[in-house]
Parts: sequence; structure tokens; C-alpha cells
Amino acid sequence: MIAVIDGGTALAAQGASSTAETIYAAAPQRLLQIRTLVADAGRQTSIGSGFLVAPDGLAITNYHVVSQVALEPKTYRLEYVAADGSHGDVQVLGVDVPNDLAIVRLEKRDAPFFTFDKAAIRGDLPKGERLYSMGNPLDLGFTIIEGTYNGRVEHSYNERIHFSGALNPGMSGGPAVTAEGQVAGVNVATRRGGQLVSFLVPARFAELLLQRVRDGGTRSDLRAEIAGQIAEWGSMLYKSFGEQGFRSIALGPYRAPETAAPWFNCWAQTNAGATPRPRASINSTNCSSDTALFVATDLNTGAIQVSHQYVKTIDLNQFQFATLLSQLSQARLVGGGPFRKWYTPERCHEDFVSAAAAPDHPPLRAIWCAQAYREFEGLYDVVLIAVTQDDGNEAMVSRLNLQAVGYDQAMALGKRFLEAVQVSK
Amino acid sequence: MIWVEVLSRHRDVEARFRVAGPEVFIGRGYDNDVIVDDPYVGAQHLRIFRDESGRVVAEDIGSANGTFLDGGKDRLRRIVIDGTKPIRIGQTLLRIREPGHAVERERMARPERPILPVALALALGAMVIAVSALRIWLAQTGEPRVSAYLTPLLTAIGSVVLWAGLWALLSRIFSGRSRFLRNLLIALAGIIALLLYDEFGRFAAFALTWPTAGTYQYVAVWSILAAICFLHLREIGPARLWLKGAIVTTVLATAIAAQTLQRSEAFSDFGRQTTTRLLMPPAFRVVPVRDQGAFFGEIARLKTRIDSDRSEARPDPTNQ
Repeated sequence: MIAVIDGGTALAAQGASSTAETIYAAAPQRLLQIRTLVADAGRQTSIGSGFLVAPDGLAITNYHVVSQVALEPKTYRLEYVAADGSHGDVQVLGVDVPNDLAIVRLEKRDAPFFTFDKAAIRGDLPKGERLYSMGNPLDLGFTIIEGTYNGRVEHSYNERIHFSGALNPGMSGGPAVTAEGQVAGVNVATRRGGQLVSFLVPARFAELLLQRVRDGGTRSDLRAEIAGQIAEWGSMLYKSFGEQGFRSIALGPYRAPETAAPWFNCWAQTNAGATPRPRASINSTNCSSDTALFVATDLNTGAIQVSHQYVKTIDLNQFQFATLLSQLSQARLVGGGPFRKWYTPERCHEDFVSAAAAPDHPPLRAIWCAQAYREFEGLYDVVLIAVTQDDGNEAMVSRLNLQAVGYDQAMALGKRFLEAVQVSK
Repeated sequence: MIWVEVLSRHRDVEARFRVAGPEVFIGRGYDNDVIVDDPYVGAQHLRIFRDESGRVVAEDIGSANGTFLDGGKDRLRRIVIDGTKPIRIGQTLLRIREPGHAVERERMARPERPILPVALALALGAMVIAVSALRIWLAQTGEPRVSAYLTPLLTAIGSVVLWAGLWALLSRIFSGRSRFLRNLLIALAGIIALLLYDEFGRFAAFALTWPTAGTYQYVAVWSILAAICFLHLREIGPARLWLKGAIVTTVLATAIAAQTLQRSEAFSDFGRQTTTRLLMPPAFRVVPVRDQGAFFGEIARLKTRIDSDRSEARPDPTNQ
């Protein structure tokens, strides 16, 4: 049975497979496994892949493969292992945190290397094109995986290529090449729960970073460089978020601001059919951004969330209804990592606010909580919650969560958010 | 005629002897008028007699351990008796009195009206149960269930009765009277004070936007608890009130300090205040609605505080 299927697959994909063989024959001496070792113990804590892109030993991998060394160079060190078994030290030269890329240098001269695909750099690779992704999955040895180029990922703030192929842990940082063996993207992530849904960083960014490193355009203090990149990225993100603006949606008699940015996933939820029968109806919308940024193994940041819950009593009295609203409106900052390592304590302020004169703008009970990143100057996590106070039997709980935002940007967005909460009765 | 009284350590009379003669011999031996079974007392220890000027005098007649005034450290050979200050021989306290010793006036008995405190206790108890049930009802947002009322109410009733019972037991041991009803009244009054404060804290946090009362609720709770304990202690006996007050105050200060420390450590561990933000029906709002500019002005001021948090929080050394 198995043999029959194998034979069939081999026959159907013969042309492609021979391409793969050619590519694979040429690839191993250009591919690397990159290991992060605990400096004192000399043992590996994580592995990834990488590939040579220049004759002088420059190689590309993912930022998340080298993040531990970039952030804590005294605790960790890097080592490469080539296909022929040779190994040696690796030095991080530059990183691109938003695009999850890093340039490293190894003591390996005049080895063959990969070049970038021109069409891929221009971004006009045809959809459906075969790509071959390479790496060292699960430390099992060098592997080649066939897949399809599916163009840019929609709903993603950071530009990513949708690649239909099975990327596995350990392949991060490996190249995805065209049939001609030229790099079109860098393996970066898979989506949990999906099958064969994987993502590549476009080759364009790798080439740009390589150029920047060559020109000496990156700081030698990697920690400061990373902090600077996150701050810049966050500032661009919230600028773009602000420019895309809010559009108004109706929830009962209320009008609520929902983001107009395309890189959000929005879902609605209701408790209408719940058992036991709910004593207040809760209809909610929740938009969360596809902008999470890997900073360290224990810190992801940059997520934005906009949600609204329209609550109307069924048989709760006003006190019980207020109790329910208290439960729904607790101000919890959603941290992206352990508090004591990355954040300062949370500080809150709450009051009754009116964004503008009634009757359009209901009085609000607004709660603002914020915490700063200990090491990233000028970056904060903020949550703003507003509960309408115009009626004892129905209300809207609106919530705006911003990670890695500048304080003034957050205040400006918060003002617009509160102004957009309206009522028509 | 002379009365010799043997006192307990609490200065209560344990035994009382009437001696008819002008002279009294006290000691462990059987040739005495009053025999004291205390191994630290001499066989012939003390002689009580009237001196030339008519005063009653106690004279040590050759004991090894000596004779002292109560609380005194000086060994005395002769003591002039005044009928109030006890004498110590060995480990025994004695009080010598003459028939003419003045006694306190007859105390007037309180009119017996046990109905009033019983009614008061019932009324307070009913009020506590009613208020607790009301609070549970107003906080119930899920499916209504009888057990949601039954369990906390029974627990509350049980705890109050147990608490008052324990104090009554202590009172019975130390003062001989249990005074359960009075202890119960104190406990119920304490619970009402706690409930009132809690409502005040919630109201202030929402209607006045003044969360401080809620944040420091633990201080109020400990203070009320200390006041209750002091009142219970006073029921046991009115003696040494200043000492009881001092003990209660010390325990109170320790408890508040310990909890403040624990809260501040929890805050630096988790970075969050434990305050729950409670909402009430909008009609309860007392303070005016502020305009957006003023609100964001406060929020801008919050930034200064967060930034000073950041400059205080040195990066973890493991990150370096």
C-alpha cells in the first residue's frame, strides 16, 4: 500500500523532484546549523538554521535564532555547524527585529554562497511558483522541503510571504530558494493549528540588512540597537494605526470605534444561546492585530486590541447589572512577558469623563492603566477602558489595548477612542 | 479579734481565719493559730500583735526566707498593718484585718431587665443577616441559587457565635462570669462596623472617585477588630485597662505593618494593585463628570510617575 502511494507520488512529481535533487546537491555547503550555547556549560539551548550569502563568511539567519546572544552576550554564545561537520564561533553583526532577521559572521572563507532571486527582490514572483525551503528540522539533519509561493500574507502588518510547506522548529533562518537555487525568502514561522501554512520573510529585507551591515549602518551595542528598532517600529505602527483611523460600528443604541486598519482580525461573540440562560445579554466584537513582534524568548510585544461589549440586562436589577459590568471592565494589562524582567509596575487613573457634550456622548467611567518597559526608553503598554454611564440597564464596555506604544501617541489615540464612543437615544 | 486572710495570686481571698486572741502566730507548724502549707514558710514564721500605741504589727519571728510587703523586695522584720496591703511570706500572700476595717458601700443591684439586651442582640443579628443576604443578592449575576446565600450566611452565623463563645469562655475562666450576651453584642456591633466601612469604601471609590478608602480598607478592618478585642477584654474585667489597651494597640500596629509590608512586596512582585474596581448604578455618581481635557491632564501626570518607576527599576542583573 505504502509502496503504491510512494510510486505514484514519485511519478507525478518527477520533474520537480529532480530539481530538488539538483538544488539539494548544491546546497549543503552553503547551509548552516546555528546553535545557541550556554557560555559556561557549552551545551546548546536552542538551534536554528542559516545560510551563507557572501564569500567573506557573512550569513543570514532569523533574529529569534540569535536573540539570546544578542540580548545577553555574557550568558550565551553562538556556534555554527556545517554539513561537512566543521564548526566554529559565530558573531552577530546586525539585526532587523521587525523582520526577524540577523546577519552573522563566521570564520569560513571562500565557501560557496547563495545569491538572491531578482524577481523575488522586486516582489513579482508569480503565485504558485515552486519554492524549496531548507534547514535542519528538529536537529534531524539537513532537509529540503518543496512548497508553493502564495504571495504576501494579507492582514499582516509586517510583510511576510505565505509559503505552503511544512516548516518545522529548527528550520528557522534557513533559505527558501527558487528552482534556480536563488533565495526568495527566509524561513520564519508556522501557524499553529494550520497545516502546511508557513511564513517566509521576503528576500528584499535580507538584502537590505546585508547592505546596511556592509555600510556600517548598525550600532555595535546590539541591545541599544534592538531597543531603537522596537521604538522606531512601534512609532511607525501606531502612526499607521492612527492614520488608518476608526470607523464607527453600531452596538445597540451605541456607536463604537472599530479600527479601519487591514491588519486586524475581528470576531464577534454573543452569549445569546448560552446555558444556563444568561441574565444579561452580552454581544461583543474583538479586533486583535496581527502585529506581534518577537523580542526575546520571553517577550512578545506590539499587539493591539480593540474590543467592545454591549451589555443589556434581561432580569438583573441595576446593582446586579453594575456588578456584572465591574467583572467585564477590570483593567488588566496583557503583558507580553514576565513582569519583573521587562516591565515597571502598573499605574492607573480612573474618573468620570465626558468626551463632548451630551446627548451624543454619554458620560463614561474611564480607566487608564499604563506600565513602561524597563529597558526600552519611551515605550509603554497601555489599556484604556470606558464604560458608558447613561443608563442603569444597558451599557457598552470599550477596551483599547496598546503594546509598545509611545505615551503621547497612546494619549492621542485614547482621546479619539473616547470621542468615538457615542449614543443615540 | 483579728482576721487573717490567705490570698490567691489574683488577690482573691482563698481562706479566711478568725482568731480571737490578742496575738496570732502564723507558720507551717501545728503550734500556730493559722497554719500555712507552703514549703517556703517557716515552722514559726509570723507573729501578729498590738504594740504599745495600739497599732497592729506583724513581726518575723525567725524565718529563713523572710517577710515582705506585696511587691516589695526588702526583707522586713516588723510591718505595721494597714489592712489593705498584703504581706508575703514564702509564696503565700496574707492580709490581716481588724473587725473595724471599713468596707465599701453596698452596691446597688442593676434592675434586672434581660429583655432589652436579648432584643438588641436579636435585632443586630437580624440586621447583620439581612445586610449580608442583600449584598449577596446584589452581587449575584449568575443563576440564582439558594446555596449562594445559605453557605456564607451559615458560616457567618457560626463564626460570630463561636467568636462570642470563645470570649465568654475566657471571661468565665478569668472573671468567673461568662457574659455571653454582652460578648455577642460586641461581636455583632463589630460586624456592622465592618459592613458599614466596606459599603463606605465601595461608595467612595465609585461615586466620589476616591479609591483610597478601599485601598486602605485593611487598616480599617484591623482597627475595628482591635477595638472589638479591647471591648471583649474589658468585659473580662475592668482591671489594668491601660495594659489591655497597650497590648491590643501593639498587636494592631504589628498586624497593619505586616500587611502593609506584604502588600508592598506583592506589588513589587506582580506590579499590580490588588484593588478591584467596582461599579455601581450610574445614579449613584456624586462627583461631576470631568471633561476630556482634565482627564487626559491627569493621565499625562501619570507618565511622570511611570517614568520615575522606570528610572528606579534598574534592569535585572541577569540581563546584563
